[in-house]
Amino acid sequence: MNAVSPPADLLAIRGLSIAYGNKPAVHDVDLTLHAGRSLALIGESGSGKSTIARALCGLLPASGTARGRILFQGQDLLALPEARLRALRGRAIGFVPQDPQNALNPVRSIGAQAQEAARLLDLPDVAARRARILQTFARIGLADPARLYDAYPHQLSGGMLQRVLIGLAILPGPALIVADEPTSALDVTIQKRILDLLGALQAELGISLLLITHDLAIAAERAHDVVVLKDGQVQERGTADQVFRQPRSAYARRLQADVPALNPERFRAATARQPGAGEAIHVDGVSKTFQAEGRSVRAVQDVSFGVPAGTTHALVGESGSGKTTLVRLLLGLERPDRGHIAVAGTPVATDAPDRLRGLRRELQLVYQNPFTSLDPTWSVGGIIAEPLQRYDVGHRGDRQAQVIEALRAVDLPEQVLRRRPGALSGGQRQRVAIARALILRPKVLVLDEPTSALDVTVQAGIVEVLFRLQAQLGLTYLFVSHDLALIRQLADSVTVLRHGQVVEQGPVAQIFSRPREAYTRLLLDSIPRPAAASRESFLVDQETEN
Amino acid sequence: MTRNTSLSQAARRIGQALVVILLAYSFTFLIISVLPGDPISNMLLDPENGFTEEEIAPIIAHYGLDRPVLEQWWMAISRFALGDLGISLRSNRPVSSMLLEALPSTLLLAGSAMLVALLLALLIAYASQNLPRRWGQGVARVLPALSLSVPSFVIGLVLIQVFAFQLGLFRITQPNSLAATFFAALALGIPVSAQIAEVLIANLDHEAGQEYFAVAQARGLRRSQLFLRHQLRPSALPVVTMIALSIGELLGGSLITETIFGRKGVGSLVQSAVVTQDFPVLQSVVSLAAVVFVLVNLLADLLYPLLDPRLRRRDTAARDDTAERLA
Repeated sequence: MNAVSPPADLLAIRGLSIAYGNKPAVHDVDLTLHAGRSLALIGESGSGKSTIARALCGLLPASGTARGRILFQGQDLLALPEARLRALRGRAIGFVPQDPQNALNPVRSIGAQAQEAARLLDLPDVAARRARILQTFARIGLADPARLYDAYPHQLSGGMLQRVLIGLAILPGPALIVADEPTSALDVTIQKRILDLLGALQAELGISLLLITHDLAIAAERAHDVVVLKDGQVQERGTADQVFRQPRSAYARRLQADVPALNPERFRAATARQPGAGEAIHVDGVSKTFQAEGRSVRAVQDVSFGVPAGTTHALVGESGSGKTTLVRLLLGLERPDRGHIAVAGTPVATDAPDRLRGLRRELQLVYQNPFTSLDPTWSVGGIIAEPLQRYDVGHRGDRQAQVIEALRAVDLPEQVLRRRPGALSGGQRQRVAIARALILRPKVLVLDEPTSALDVTVQAGIVEVLFRLQAQLGLTYLFVSHDLALIRQLADSVTVLRHGQVVEQGPVAQIFSRPREAYTRLLLDSIPRPAAASRESFLVDQETEN
Repeated sequence: MTRNTSLSQAARRIGQALVVILLAYSFTFLIISVLPGDPISNMLLDPENGFTEEEIAPIIAHYGLDRPVLEQWWMAISRFALGDLGISLRSNRPVSSMLLEALPSTLLLAGSAMLVALLLALLIAYASQNLPRRWGQGVARVLPALSLSVPSFVIGLVLIQVFAFQLGLFRITQPNSLAATFFAALALGIPVSAQIAEVLIANLDHEAGQEYFAVAQARGLRRSQLFLRHQLRPSALPVVTMIALSIGELLGGSLITETIFGRKGVGSLVQSAVVTQDFPVLQSVVSLAAVVFVLVNLLADLLYPLLDPRLRRRDTAARDDTAERLA
């Protein structure tokens, strides 16, 4: 940006190396954050970005050892005795964590924990501190601060909790805020609001911001400077504009290519798919109400849509929108109160177990979290072959060949057959889950946020496999996600859900370029749009069969 | 509304507790009644006494022991419900007054043992978190397992050997002196403290790995504040559970400890009742133990919502992000 005078270095990390035991996590990292500016530290899981954030706040576990210097306002944090370091924590360096649901002590009230932060200010008594806390809560956009003060963490939503945590971080008036993926656990529209809040506070209060993120688009949109990290080493550094427009390192270029928000047409253009005949999924006027704690919750209300065979339909919505219930209804795990559902022309009969079993040959599910959806005690070969045994398909001798074929289809080497899920990476595990879902040669695959636990480059690999399989096998996908940029990249049609109702639905090209409803526009606005993005056109050209 | 539901919850728990006590009483009654013979014949038909069956028949009838078991059970339980524990077969005194005499000494022992157990457990748990890692923490973590593997009577004998006989800190002939009571409580409390410490250490470790612990640390809290507020406080629930469970341990252990230290109490009462087959006393003590156990666990149940706000009745706070989106 246009620097008036060279700003002072608030934070200068020099030759920082961190290891957990014998395992190096960060290697010889240099970075500089000027006072009043924001720096984004970008990297995938395992890149060492969180380790650097923790080292900065003095939160490394006992097994972690750091070498080098972390100069904060001229003092080396690594050389400071514990008591001096503690004096800086909170007071000078604020920390905003990744998962707000777990970042406040569940058995103590919000007020009690806010008092801990307020104690760092030199205020006379509890009442004065309470007044300051309420004032701060109001400032960061929390309604009814007094009620919040007496509330417990479990009574608040994720977005409110993250606001509270930001409030607690800025309360003592720190010079630096370290935000470790502050929005990755939140719904998209909330993400945008939280990032807006952090940006506004940074500008108004002159606080410096170290933003840790895996999302290049968010970094480019929100930070002045960017440092790209891979395997604990700096790949590239520069202003957000530079790194974004002209990435010099191979890794930054790959990151840029893999972020869905920046490359809406990447996969669609590369793959020739042929939509089949007829509707693979037909949902007609479906409603479902749950009874919980004496109240009835209308999870799904009068939802209808159809998916032509061989295409991808997306269900979009935030938490509580009813998309999970809809998937459960489709799989026959719940019975709809009204309406009916058919898959490949056959109605989903929840009252006939045999027919439901038949349905599941045609309809397979890939779960959200590959770290918990595979039995850790089974071998990969066993996991993939299990459906063949359950449905008694083929002979024992042929099964091995089928398993290997499924592995090849998802680009996994034969060697993983004997391994257990624990020895695989997240991306490999999700590929195993897809191979398992495909082994019965189903017509429809339900993908429940299949990449939300994965890094962008890993996600891009999975999406590529999904596209290729669709083209080869004529599969129909029902893709559940809250990530609109990803949906724009891979879906043909989309249903936007909110509070169990359809807000809007139609071809992706139409919904993304000409949204009719305010809520759809709100969702679309939450896709990060880096100012430097050279492509103006986010329009989807391809028309879908519908 | 909220108050009513929590009251009805409490009422349900109390109802359940009463059922458990009733079952415990009936079960002991059943065990005693399936034992061969009845107390009167066991006592009087002894060859030394020289009574015949015809001679003792009226006595058996007097105590109602010739009636069907179900009827005897009903009589016993209705007396028990009214607080009448019956008459001791040996001393011919009301069991309730015998119990009242024995109780204070045992309560003092069990109470101080619990106190000792809690203090020791806290000390070990604190050491496990805050001592220098390699040495101090290691020792603190091994201690509970070590002391759990030594039976409490061995601990008692060692304490007597060392502190009474060698160091002369208390005299074994004055079991009710302050020092003797302290060492008896120590003998009884150490195994209990080991159990509590094991649970506590596991929970403290768990809390230290929680994100909110790190966030609180980043808020600049002192080590002691972190320990108290963000480690110990959230660990309170399992510790209360453990304390309630170890009441059984204390009751059973006090029987042995009282014998070793020569104290008069419920333990010695039970011991002599077993030897002399004084069934009304046995039945009463076992039932009383059940009552204490159930009461303590009831108390723990009622305490949980006070310790963890998540267990209180859900109030309708804004749990979804609707407000946030509209903000």
